[in-house]
Amino acid sequence: MSNELKLKEVFKNIFQIETSSINDETSVDTIEKWDSLKHLNLVLALEEAFNITFTEEESVEIMSYPLVKAVLGDHGISF
Amino acid sequence: MSENGRIQEAINRVGKERNIANYSALEALLDDHPNASLESIRVSIARNFTVEPLIPIVKGEFARCGLLADIYLGDYDVVASEILNKDSGLYGHNPQVLLIANWLEGISKVLTTEYLSSSANDIDREIKRVVNEIEGFISVFRTNSNAPVLINNFPLIDAPTLGILNAQLESGHTAAILKLNKELLGRLKTIPDVFIVDYFSIFAKVGINQGYDERYWHIARAPLKREMLLALGIEYAKYIRALKGKGKKCLVLDCDNTLWGGVIGEDGIHGIKLGTSHPGSGFRAFQTEILNLYNRGVLLALCSKNNEEDVLEVLDKHPDMILRRDHIAAWQINWNDKASNLSRLAEKLNIGIDSFVFADDNAFECEWVESQLPQVAVVHLQGDSSSFKRQIADNGFFDTLSFTEEDKKRSEMYISAAKSEELKNNSGSYDEYLRNLKLCAEIGAPSVTTIPRFSQLTQKTNQFNLTTFRYSEGDISRMLADPSYGVYCLKLQDRFTDLGLIGVAITKADEDVCKIDTFALSCRALGRGVEDAFMTYILEQAKLKGVKKVVGAYIPTKKNAQVADFYRKQGFKKMETREEVYCWEWNFEEKAPPLSPEWIELSLTTESK
Repeated sequence: MSNELKLKEVFKNIFQIETSSINDETSVDTIEKWDSLKHLNLVLALEEAFNITFTEEESVEIMSYPLVKAVLGDHGISF
Repeated sequence: MSENGRIQEAINRVGKERNIANYSALEALLDDHPNASLESIRVSIARNFTVEPLIPIVKGEFARCGLLADIYLGDYDVVASEILNKDSGLYGHNPQVLLIANWLEGISKVLTTEYLSSSANDIDREIKRVVNEIEGFISVFRTNSNAPVLINNFPLIDAPTLGILNAQLESGHTAAILKLNKELLGRLKTIPDVFIVDYFSIFAKVGINQGYDERYWHIARAPLKREMLLALGIEYAKYIRALKGKGKKCLVLDCDNTLWGGVIGEDGIHGIKLGTSHPGSGFRAFQTEILNLYNRGVLLALCSKNNEEDVLEVLDKHPDMILRRDHIAAWQINWNDKASNLSRLAEKLNIGIDSFVFADDNAFECEWVESQLPQVAVVHLQGDSSSFKRQIADNGFFDTLSFTEEDKKRSEMYISAAKSEELKNNSGSYDEYLRNLKLCAEIGAPSVTTIPRFSQLTQKTNQFNLTTFRYSEGDISRMLADPSYGVYCLKLQDRFTDLGLIGVAITKADEDVCKIDTFALSCRALGRGVEDAFMTYILEQAKLKGVKKVVGAYIPTKKNAQVADFYRKQGFKKMETREEVYCWEWNFEEKAPPLSPEWIELSLTTESK
């Protein structure tokens, strides 16, 4: 599975949205279910899927799909 | 696919791969379909830390036990006001279980962050204060609700500043946490139906570094890492399984490459791997764990594709077998498919197939059984034989919240039941067989030592149970203290074995009418007229109390069809006009209680009320 697809699967499972609807506009402002508690689940699921550990700062700042990709990039996961 | 099909699929996916994404997906499905064919259970949660990441996992693990968790989650850190205020949402949810999740740092600075600056006296005083406070809340809850309470003890989290010195001090941090947990247990034991969830041991097992998330403790007061969340979800489900009578009763085992290494049909009794040294020792260790389960009251059965005589020869003659023929309650050793064999075993043992755990090293067999019998818990044993023990134990399938004398004896009893089956075949008539059994029944009120077993029977008996009302030990004690209730238990012996406490009944008298609230018998006691003797006794007691009528109800469930006609057979009259469920009536003005079966010798314990 490509990293892009893997990432979209995580978003799909956590927020119950279609993978086709996920794009660079996707963020905490466009997804209704993205609240602070779902955010915790998102962080846990991302760490699990990509086998990484975010720093405190990273886990607070990943509030949109492009930001998630950027921070994953810092951990050596390319898109 | 139907919604139940989709849910079952999501449940299976979680079982195969436990990860946050799968649990979240299952949770969303369950939230969208509150009418799924799962039994609902109302859970109220009071907590002083962010337990939200745990919720999808708890819901998922409950669903794996056939339960839909209907959760009320109290606000962050308002445990006291929720429990002390009778009008709070916690009580408004009318919980069937209360879950209290306490994080020590939220309750006590002295025992956590300020530990080093506190004196030994301060620390002792603080331990007392924390225990008093928790006991106080739960006592108040107990006056308002009878729901069982699950409350955690406290893990060792912080690397003590004292370093290696910590272990040298009687007043060290580790010693203080151990003392706190011990005192908590001692005090909470005195309140009925309060159970400790052992965070201390679970953290030790998972590892503090793998379990404690200091980042999220600071960001969101969410101290649990992924590994700990998964472990705790599974742990909470074990308690619910035990409380709701969803525990498993029988472990069905494959033989080749499960109980021993190799294939008996090819390698022969001297060629299979089984012994005190590697590579046979892993299998022997696994057998030792199975024997522990047997001693805990779990029934053992074999389901193997082999020639029966080959396997029996190993059981009888192999010097390094731990399990012997006498431990096995039933077996199906043949070349038929395993799903059919499991059904046959369920018939032989007279227990529901959903109380089976099936363990096999063969992926094909596991998948076949899973697809044919989704109600059976399947464990696909993988990897080294030395890990088999853990693969069974981690699931907690057979966990109970009490351990009674009957549990210890259960496996033996099933085996002697098989022997009396033999006697049945040898005796001429059925009457003669019953007389030969020399049955002795003892009826009386439960005592302090038998209340746990009484409660357990109301919770675990599914088939011969007219109403399936489930009662905790606390409920039973309350009924015993209330003179309008009659609480009766029945113990049975035959010439082969002491079956122990196998029947329970509860009646409630209200002016002229006595209602049979509960009437349940363990299935292994059936077919001997014991139920007739028990019912006769209850009718006689009711008559002595001076009521005019006794009324009974049959509340159908998926499993108790065998008693649908019970009251008719006993001679009760159905009152068609009566709208409520208590429609079966015995009117003493029309007829006296029946005679008890003559082949059962009856004795009464004096404390009977």
